[in-house]
Amino acid sequence: MSKANFSKTFTAAAEAVGARVVAFDTVDPALEFIAAHAAGTIFVPGFPSGERMQLAGRLLGMGLDLAGSGRAAAEAAAAGVTGANFALAATGTVVLESTAEAIRLATTLPERHFILLDPAKIIADDFSAVPHLRELHRRQPRNYLAYITGPSRTADIERVLTIGVHGPRELHILLVPGLSSDCLEL
Amino acid sequence: MSNARSKQYKARIDQALATPKLQDALHRFGDAYVISREKAFAGLDFEALRKEIARIKDEVRSNHQHYLDEFTRNAEAAGATVFLARTAEEANAYIADLARKRGVTLAVKSKSMASEETHLNRALAEAGVRALETDLGEWIIQLAGQRPSHMVMPAIHMFRDEVAELFSKVTGEIESDDIEHLVQVARKQLRQGYLDAGMGISGANVAVAETGGIVLVTNEGNARLATTLPKIHVALVGIEKLVPTLEDAATVIRVLPKNATGQLLTSYVTWIRGAVPCGETEKELHIVLLDNGRSALAESPHCRDALRCIKCGACANVCPVYQTVGGHVFGHIYISAIGIILTAFFHGLDNAAELVRACIGCRACVAVCPADIDLEGIILHLRETLGEEEGIGGGKSIVFKNVLRNRKLFHSLLRAASLLQKPVTRGERTIRHLPLFFSGLTEWRSLPAVADKPLRDLWARRPQEVAKPRYRVAFFAGCLNDFVYPELGSDLVTVLNHLGVRISFPEKQNCCGVPALYSGDKETAVELARQNVAAMLEDDPDFVLTTCPTCTMALQRDFVDHLRDNPVWAEKAEHLAAITMDVSRFIVEKLDAGPALGGLADPEKVTYHDSCHLKRGAGVWKEPRQLLTDSGRELVEMAHADRCCGFGGSYSFSSHPDIARRILEDKLADIEKSGATCVAMDCPGCMLQIRGGLDKRGTPIRAVHTIELLAETLQERK
Repeated sequence: MSKANFSKTFTAAAEAVGARVVAFDTVDPALEFIAAHAAGTIFVPGFPSGERMQLAGRLLGMGLDLAGSGRAAAEAAAAGVTGANFALAATGTVVLESTAEAIRLATTLPERHFILLDPAKIIADDFSAVPHLRELHRRQPRNYLAYITGPSRTADIERVLTIGVHGPRELHILLVPGLSSDCLEL
Repeated sequence: MSNARSKQYKARIDQALATPKLQDALHRFGDAYVISREKAFAGLDFEALRKEIARIKDEVRSNHQHYLDEFTRNAEAAGATVFLARTAEEANAYIADLARKRGVTLAVKSKSMASEETHLNRALAEAGVRALETDLGEWIIQLAGQRPSHMVMPAIHMFRDEVAELFSKVTGEIESDDIEHLVQVARKQLRQGYLDAGMGISGANVAVAETGGIVLVTNEGNARLATTLPKIHVALVGIEKLVPTLEDAATVIRVLPKNATGQLLTSYVTWIRGAVPCGETEKELHIVLLDNGRSALAESPHCRDALRCIKCGACANVCPVYQTVGGHVFGHIYISAIGIILTAFFHGLDNAAELVRACIGCRACVAVCPADIDLEGIILHLRETLGEEEGIGGGKSIVFKNVLRNRKLFHSLLRAASLLQKPVTRGERTIRHLPLFFSGLTEWRSLPAVADKPLRDLWARRPQEVAKPRYRVAFFAGCLNDFVYPELGSDLVTVLNHLGVRISFPEKQNCCGVPALYSGDKETAVELARQNVAAMLEDDPDFVLTTCPTCTMALQRDFVDHLRDNPVWAEKAEHLAAITMDVSRFIVEKLDAGPALGGLADPEKVTYHDSCHLKRGAGVWKEPRQLLTDSGRELVEMAHADRCCGFGGSYSFSSHPDIARRILEDKLADIEKSGATCVAMDCPGCMLQIRGGLDKRGTPIRAVHTIELLAETLQERK
C-alpha cells in the first residue's frame, strides 16, 4: 500500500464495515452534509481543529440546533461531531484521543457520529500507529484513546450482524483537506 | 472417579445431542468462521504473527514480577489503584467491599470472562449490589440465568424466539422476535443503566506494562459507556493479559479480532491509562489483577504455554466436539480446548476431569491457535495426571499394564480374538451386529473383524521381487494394519516393490503406545516406546515407513518426549524420529514415483479425507492427493476434507461413542455430497470408522487406503 493509496484503501475498508465516507474539497459543503443528515440537535465538544475552524459558530450560523454541554445534553442530542487524530488505512479505523469526557460523550451517546478527518492524516495501519500512541502517552499522564471502526455492532443473536446496539448507529467520516496535519491533535 | 459427576455429564451430552438446532447453528457458524477468518488474514503471515504472540507472552511469563511491577508503577502514577488478587475470592471481596464503601447499588458490566471465572455477580449480589450485564449476549445469558457457552459469543446457543421471550418479561410487553427489534429493545433498556450506575466493571484484553494502561477490544460500544459514565471504574484483569510494550499490544490486537470473529478489527479498541476525567471531577479507577491459579500454571512446564492464550475462542469455532455438543457440555466456565486446561488450573481438576476426556485429539484447534499453543499436547498431559490421580478405569489399567507391555501376550490374545469372534462374524470380514450390551457398538458402524492371520504371520511368506533395492526400509505397521487390515501390508509390498524398494517387517515391534497415552497411562507408553525403538532400529534401516499417522506421530514425536531424559535411549529415539516417514511422503519425496505410477488407473472419481494426525501432525496432505492424481484418478474435494471423522480410537468405542457417531455422520454426508465413488485416506483408524459408517448406510462408496488404491492399479495391470 503506497501513501497515495491510503485514502482509497481507508475509504474501502471503512465502507466495508458500514461507515459512510464522503470526500469534500472544503469545509463548508462538509458542514452542509452534517446539517442535512444530523436529524436533530447536534452535540459539539471542543477540540483544537474544530476550534480553529470555529465549528460550533458556523453550525449555529447555518441555523442548526446545538446541544449544550454535559451528559444530559449529549444523551438528548441526535448527533455528535468531532475531529480525528489520525486514521488507519488498512482497517478503515479512525483514532480519537478522547481523554476529555465531552469527546467520549459525543461519540458514544448520540445515534449519529460525524467525524471531520483531514485525509493527510491517514496512515498505513495499526503498526504505524504505535509511535503516535507512544507520543500521546508521553504528552499526557492519563488518557483515553479510541479506535473507531464503523458503527456499533453486534452479532450476539443468532450470529446476525446488527448495527447500532449501544453506540452510534451511523458513522459518517467526512474527508476535508486542510483541517490539520498533526496526528497528535484532534 | 466420581459416578455422580459422570452421570451428570452424560445427561448433559444426551441433552445436547437431542438439540439438532444447536448443532446446526454451530456447524453453520463454524463454516462461516473459516471463510471470514481466511479473508481477514489475507496478505498477513499468520505463522509469524502467532510465533510473535507466543514470544511476547513467554517473555512476560519468564519475567513476571518485572512486568507486574512496571505495570503497577505506571498505572499508579496515572492515578489508578492496583490490587493483586491471589484468588477469585480475594478479587470478589475487594470489588464488593469497594462497592459497599462507596454506597454503590448498581454496577454496569461490560463483558469479562475473568468475572465469570470468579463468579463476581454472585458476590456482588450478596453485598447488595445489582450487577447489570450490558454486552447483549451476556445480558441475554444473565436474564436466562445461564452461563456463556462461548468465550466471545456467550449466547451462541440461544435463538431469537427465546430472546424475545426473555425480553418480553423485562419490558412487560410482547416483543417480536425480529432481531433488529430485539437489539433496539436492549439499547433502550440498558441505556439508563449506564447513567444510573455508580460503578462500571470491565475486563481487559491487554494490559500494557510500558504505560500502565489497559486495552478493551469490543464491538457494541457498551464498554465505552461503562468505562465513561459511572464514577468508579473497576477493571478485572487476568495477569496473563500483560504485555511489555505498545508494539506488543498492537500485535495482539492485530490478531485477536481476525482470529476470534474474522473481523479485520472490532468496532472499538479502547486504550485507557489512569484515572481520566469523569463529569466535573476525575474517575476512581481500580485495576484488580487476578492470579487465581495462573502462577501455578506458569510453574507447570507441560501446561504453561496455555498462559499465552488471548481468549479468541477459535479453538471452539473449529472443534468438531464443540460443534456437536456446544459449550455447556464441552466447557466449565472457559470452554473448548483451552477451557479444559484453564478449568483444571482455575477451577480444579475435578471440574476438568470429564472434559479432559472429551477432546477427540484431532488438533484442529492447534492449527488455528493464535498463540501457537499445543492444546492437544497439554490436554494429553492433563489426562495422564488425571490417570495418576483417579486411575484410568480398572479394565483399561489391567490391559495396558499387563497386556500391552508384554508383546507376546498381547499378540496371542489378538490371535485368540480372531477365533473367539467367529460366532458374530459368521466368517465375514465385517461385524455388523453384536449381541446384548455390545450391540451399541455396531448400531451405527460395522466393525472389521480381527483377521485370521495377522500381517506379522503372513510377512515371511510374502514374496518380494526387487532386483536392485534402492533403500533399506523397515515397516512399522501398527496394530490395526497388523491385526485387522493385513492386506494393506501386502499392498504396500506390491507398491514399493514396483518402485524398486524392498521392505522388512521387524518382528519385535509392538503397539505404538498411543492408546495407553490417550487414556492417561504414560508409564505403559514409555515402556512401549523403548520396545519399539529397539525393534525398529535393530537392522539399521535407512527409513521406517508407516501407514497409520497416529503411529507416525508416536514415532516422530512421542517416543522422543518419553525417552528425552534417558541417556541410553534419547539419541536412538531421535534417530528413529528422523528416519520415520508416512509412506505417501516417502513415495513422493524419495522415489519421485509420478512416472512409475502414471495414468495406470481408470479415471474414477475419488475424494480424499485428511486424517487429523497426518495433516496436522505429520504435515502430509499434498502427497497422497498427488499420488491419486498421478495414478490417473480424478480427485474431487469434499467439503471439510480435513475435519475429523470421529474415530479417535477409544473415543468412539468407550469414552464418547455418541459424539463420535455424530461427527462421523457429518463426514459421511460430506463424502456423499462430493459425488465421488471412492473415498481415499491414509489411516487405518479412519478406514475403520468411515468404512463401517458407509457399510451401515448401505452406500456403494468405497473407503480405501491410498496404498490399496495404488496396489489395485498395479495388480489390474498385471
